Amino acid sequence: MTRVSIEVNGTVEELDVPPRLLLADLLRDRLGLTGTKIGCAMGACGACTVLLDGAPVRACLMFSVQANGRSVRTIENLANEAGELHPLQRALREHHGLQCGYCTPGILMAIAPLLESGQPLEPDAVREAIAGNLCRCTGYDTIVDAVVEASRP
Amino acid sequence: MKPSAFEYLAPETCEEALGALAEHGDDAAVLAGGQSLIPMMNLRIAAPRVLIDVMRAPELRGIGNAGGRIEIGAGVRMAQAERESGVALMTAALRHVGHPAIRNCGTVCGSVAHADPAGEVPAVLLALDGEVVLRSLRGERSVAADDFFLSYYSTAREPDELVVAVRIPSASPPRVAFREVTPRLGGSTGEFATAGVAATAEPDDLGRWRRVRIALLGVADRPVRAREAEALLTGVEPTNDAIAAAAESAATTVDPPSDVHAGPDYRRRAVRVLTTRALAEIAS
Amino acid sequence: MNDWPLYAQRRWAGKRVQRLEDPGMLTGATTYVTDVRLPRMLELAFIRSPAPNARIVSIDDEGARSVPGVRAVLGPEDLSHVHPTMDFVELDGALKTPRVTLPGDRVRYVGEPLAAVVGDDRYAAEDGADAVIVALEPLDDHEPIHDGIPGDRYFGQAAAYGDVDATFARAEHVVRRRLAFQRVVTSAIETCGIVADYDAAGEELTCYLSTQMPHLARAALAEALGLPVSHVRVICPAMGGAFGGKEVMLPEYLCAAAAAIRLRRPVRWVEDRSEALTAGAHGKEAGAELEAAFDGDGRLRAIRSRFVSDTGAYSSGIGAYVEFMVAAFTVPGLYRLDGYAYDTGGIVSHKAPLSPFRGVGMTTSQTVREVLVDDAARALGIDRMELRRRNLVADGPWQTVLGEHYEPGSWRTAFERALELIDYESFLERQAAARTDGRLLGVGVSPFVEAAGLGSAGGAGGLPGTSHDNATVSIDLSGRITVALPTFSHGQGHRTTAAQLVADMFAVAPEDVRVLDGDTARTPFGMGTFGSRSGVFIAGTVSGAGRIVRDKLLRVAEVLLEAAYEDLELVDGTVGVRGAPSRRIPLAALSGAAHFAPHVRAELGDPTLTATAFFDPPRPTHSNGTIAAVVEVDPGTGGVKIERIVVVEDCGTMLNPTIVEGQIRGGVAQGVGLALLERYVYDGAGQPQTTTLAEYLLPRATDLPTIEIEHLETPSENGTAGIKGMAEGPASATPAAVVCAVFDAIAPHSDAIHELPLRPETIAAALATP
Repeated sequence: MTRVSIEVNGTVEELDVPPRLLLADLLRDRLGLTGTKIGCAMGACGACTVLLDGAPVRACLMFSVQANGRSVRTIENLANEAGELHPLQRALREHHGLQCGYCTPGILMAIAPLLESGQPLEPDAVREAIAGNLCRCTGYDTIVDAVVEASRP
Repeated sequence: MKPSAFEYLAPETCEEALGALAEHGDDAAVLAGGQSLIPMMNLRIAAPRVLIDVMRAPELRGIGNAGGRIEIGAGVRMAQAERESGVALMTAALRHVGHPAIRNCGTVCGSVAHADPAGEVPAVLLALDGEVVLRSLRGERSVAADDFFLSYYSTAREPDELVVAVRIPSASPPRVAFREVTPRLGGSTGEFATAGVAATAEPDDLGRWRRVRIALLGVADRPVRAREAEALLTGVEPTNDAIAAAAESAATTVDPPSDVHAGPDYRRRAVRVLTTRALAEIAS
Repeated sequence: MNDWPLYAQRRWAGKRVQRLEDPGMLTGATTYVTDVRLPRMLELAFIRSPAPNARIVSIDDEGARSVPGVRAVLGPEDLSHVHPTMDFVELDGALKTPRVTLPGDRVRYVGEPLAAVVGDDRYAAEDGADAVIVALEPLDDHEPIHDGIPGDRYFGQAAAYGDVDATFARAEHVVRRRLAFQRVVTSAIETCGIVADYDAAGEELTCYLSTQMPHLARAALAEALGLPVSHVRVICPAMGGAFGGKEVMLPEYLCAAAAAIRLRRPVRWVEDRSEALTAGAHGKEAGAELEAAFDGDGRLRAIRSRFVSDTGAYSSGIGAYVEFMVAAFTVPGLYRLDGYAYDTGGIVSHKAPLSPFRGVGMTTSQTVREVLVDDAARALGIDRMELRRRNLVADGPWQTVLGEHYEPGSWRTAFERALELIDYESFLERQAAARTDGRLLGVGVSPFVEAAGLGSAGGAGGLPGTSHDNATVSIDLSGRITVALPTFSHGQGHRTTAAQLVADMFAVAPEDVRVLDGDTARTPFGMGTFGSRSGVFIAGTVSGAGRIVRDKLLRVAEVLLEAAYEDLELVDGTVGVRGAPSRRIPLAALSGAAHFAPHVRAELGDPTLTATAFFDPPRPTHSNGTIAAVVEVDPGTGGVKIERIVVVEDCGTMLNPTIVEGQIRGGVAQGVGLALLERYVYDGAGQPQTTTLAEYLLPRATDLPTIEIEHLETPSENGTAGIKGMAEGPASATPAAVVCAVFDAIAPHSDAIHELPLRPETIAAALATP
C-alpha cells in the first residue's frame, strides 16, 4: 500500500492505495464519485475524463499514485456549490446533447477547460475537440451545437 | 481489465531513477505518461513487476533551446511540446497522436521509447535527424534516430538506460509536411495511423532541394527513411514528375506488414499518395 | 385512433419539452448498474475460452483459491442446477440450441465463459482468473457445432408470393447483387452489468441489471434459477445505451446470481470492453443476394432474395431468427412488386452469439435492395432517382406483395422532398464538374419504411409472438400523478414523453408527473423496449390507464362539487366546474376524498385513484422517410468524407420532436458506422482480430457531418393519438444511402465490391480494378 494525498473536488483526500489502483477506480469505488465512467480502460472512449490540475486526462490510464500531490476535479464538481449548472451543462440540456447520459460526464470534463479562455469556438474545432469522446446515442450534432453556444457569452 | 500488481517507485531525481533501473533491469518498466504502457497493463499484455515513475525528477522536465538545437526532456508532455517546442513538424504530427486528454499525459520521450512502428513521434525524429539521449549509471550516450529504432517496440535502449531527452538539431527546417492516413474517414485525426509520411526539404537559391528527408511510419517494423526517394530529389527542382518518381520509389522500396486495417498493397499505395501530397505541399 | 383524445388538452404533446432525466445525467448523479455498490459486495471475473472449438479436458482452480482476495471459484458443476436458457421462438423445423450456463463438455467460441472467480474486487478476481488453468483439446472443425444440427443450419424458410418464376422468365432485364454484411458489435458506451443480491431470510433475489426488458429478464432469471417469479426483482436504475444488445439473458448474469445465492453476499459483474468486444452483443452478420426482374421501361416486377445469417455459437438468444427473418420480409420496402420470393435461414458457427442490433434485418434488406436498384439504373441507362419514381408506391395505404397492410404514409412525398433538399439536379452538375478535376463525389438516396408498434397481430418478419404491455397510472395522497411503465429507456427519454402525455390528460405540468420504469416491483408487466415499440405502447397503455383514473377523478369531483359530470373540467392541477372559477378542487383533496371519505368511497366502489391498462395494437404502425447522403471519395487513399446527410422523417404524431430528432441523429451515426467503419473480424482459425477499440472503430464526431432533418407528419391510424413510433428506420436506411453514395462516386468500380464496410482499403482496391 502507498499513502497518497490527492485533492479531489476541493477536498484533500488521504488514502492508502495499492499502486495499481486506477484513478478511475479510486474516484468511483473509494470515494463514491460514480459520475466518472469506465468505458474501455484504454483511453479510446473518453468516458473517464477528469481534470488533473485543470487539464483533461483519462482516469482509466492513470494510477492513483501518479496523482499524488495533485488536484483532481470530477463531474460532480462542475456545477457550482449552490447547484447551479455550468453553462456547458445548461447548453447541453437545451440542445438535447445527451440521451443515455453515459458519455456525458467525460465530454463535459473534456470541454469545460476550453471555455475558460472566453474565446468563441467554431463547430469544426468543437468536433475535433470532442473527437476523443465516443457517444453512441446522439450522433454528436447537438453536442457540437451546445458547446458552440456555451462558448459565446 | 485491471492490471496485475507491481511495486511502485517514484524517484525524486534522475540519478535515483537510474539507480532503480540498474537494480531492477528487465523486471522494471519506466512510467512516464503511461498512455502506451497502462493500456497494455490493463489488458494484462504487460505485467512489469516494478514501475519506475520518472515524472517526479525536476531535471527531466523542460524544453531546452541551445543555439537552435532543441532538447525535449523525458518529463515533457506531448501537449506541452505541441504548444512550446517550436518544432513545426513535431507540432503538425502531434495533432494526430491520440486525443487531447492523451496528449496531456503522454510524453514525447515515452513515445520514442515505446517505438510503435506506426507512431508519429519516432518518424518525426527520423525526419529531423534527431538523436535520442540515453543515460544510465554507466554514463550518457546519444544515438541517432536512424540507429535507435530496431524493430517492433524494440530499440537500442539497454534495460538499465533511461531515455532522458530527444535532441533535434534544428527547430525549423525550411519546409516541412506531415501526412497520415487512418482507417477512418478522410480527415479524421487521433486514431492509430495506417501509414504516414514526415518530410522535410531545404530549397537552395535556385529552388533545388537539399537535405531531403522522407520518413515513413506504419509500413515496416520501425519508422524508415525512403533513402532512394530522398536521393532522387536531392539537388533537383521538385517538379511533378520528380515528386511522382520519388513517391513511386518510396512505395516500392517498402515491404509493409498486414493488420486488420490494411494489407501491404494498401500501405504501399498510401505511401505513394501521401508522399506525393507531402512533397507537393513542401514544393508549393 | 389518430385523434387526440377529445378530453385532453394538447399543451405538452408535440412540444420540445426539455428532458426530465437530464439534470441527474449532467451532474454525474444518475446511477447506472455499474455504479451500484452494496455493502459486502464482491466482484466477478470470468475465465474465458482462448479457443473457438475444443473439448474441455479439465479446469484446475487450485491455484486460484489461494490468490489473495479470492472468495470463490465457480465451475460447471457449481452451476449445473441452473436450467439452460432457450429462445421462445416457435417455428416448425427450428432446431434448438439450449444454452447451459457454463459448458462442462466443450467450448464453441473464443471468449465463451468457462468458469468464474469471485473476489473482493475486480483486481483480485482477475488475479484469481489468471491462476485458473484450463486444459482444452481442439476439436475437428468438420464436426457439427451442435449435435442434431447437421450442416450447422438451424432454421430455414422459403416462400414465394405471386408467380415469381414466370415473371423472371419473361423479364427484359435481370439484375443481381450480392453483398456480405459484416459482423458488428452494438457497443453501448455502458457495457453489460449486473449486481445480484440475495436476501436469504426473505428468499428474494434482487438483480440490478442493465436490461431493455426488466419483466422478461425477471422471468428468465426465475426460470433458470428455479425461483418463483415473485421472488425475483429486477431493477434497472438507468441504462447507458443498449440498441438491442441488452435483451439476452446472459450466462454471466446467471453466474452472478447463482454466486450471490450461494455466497449470501451481493455479487457484481461488470462487462469490460474487452469482454464486450470479444464475447458480447455481436450483430448483423449475414450474406445477402438479390436478383430483380425489370421490364424494358424500368418497371420492377419481381425480386428474389437469399439471406444466410451467421448467428454464432448459439441460436438460443434473441438475436437468432430475427436478423434473417426480418431481412427476408422487408426486402419489398416501398416498391410495388408483382412477385417476391425469399429463401432465408441461419447457421451456427464458432463465433459469439448474435444479439439484435438496431435496425435488425432491415439494415441488410434496405442496403442490398437500394444498391440493387442503383445497379439496375446504371444497367438500364435510367437515372437512379427516376427509376425509383417509377416503382415507389404512391402515398397512402396499400397492401404489399406479402399481404401486409401499410397504414397511410408519405412514402413518395418524403422521397421527393429529400431530393429537393439534397438538390439532386444541381448535384449531378457538380459531380460532373468535379470528375474533370479528378474528384469523386457521389449521392445516395434511400427511401425507407419501418413497421413499429408490433403487437400480437403483427409479428415482425413472420415471427409469431404475442405482446403483453400494461401501464399503471395513479394519483397519490399528495395529488401527485405517477405513471409506471414496463418499457425501459436507454436514452429515448421515456420519462419525459410519458410525462407529456399524462400532463395533457390531467392538465398538470410534465415535471409534476413522476414516471417509474425499470423496477419490476414498481411497474406492471410488459415486454420492454426494442423494435421501436415504446412510442406506440407507452401511448396506448398510458392513455388507457389514464382514461380510467381520469374518470374516477371526475366522479369524485362530481360528488364533492355536486355538479354534473359533463360540466367538469381539469385545469391546472384541479378539477372544477366549467365557467365557475371559484369552484375548483385540487387533485390532493380529490385523492384524499377518494381514499378516506366514506360517501365518496361508496360512490366509487374502489377507494384508490389507480388503474392498470393493457394495450395490444390491432395493427402495426408504419413510419417512413428518406435519407440522402453526399460523399466525397479520396481517389488516392480510398477514404470517404461525408459531406451531407439529409433525413426526411415521418413518424406520425410526434410527442416530442426534439427526442425524435435525437433518435434520428443517433440512428444515422450508427448507420455510418455500419457503412464505413465497424467490423468484427475472426481469422481463419476462429480467433478474433478486433478486440479493442483501436481495431473496432466506432463513429467519432469528426466522422460525421451535421445531420439535416425535416419532418413530415402523417398521423397513424393504428397508434394512439396518431403516434407511429420510430428509431430504427434511420439506422437501417443510412447505410443504404451512404453505400449507394460511395458506389455512385466510384462507379463502375463499385461492381467489384461485395462486402461491407467500405473501408479505405476496400475502396482503394476497387478503384484499382479495371
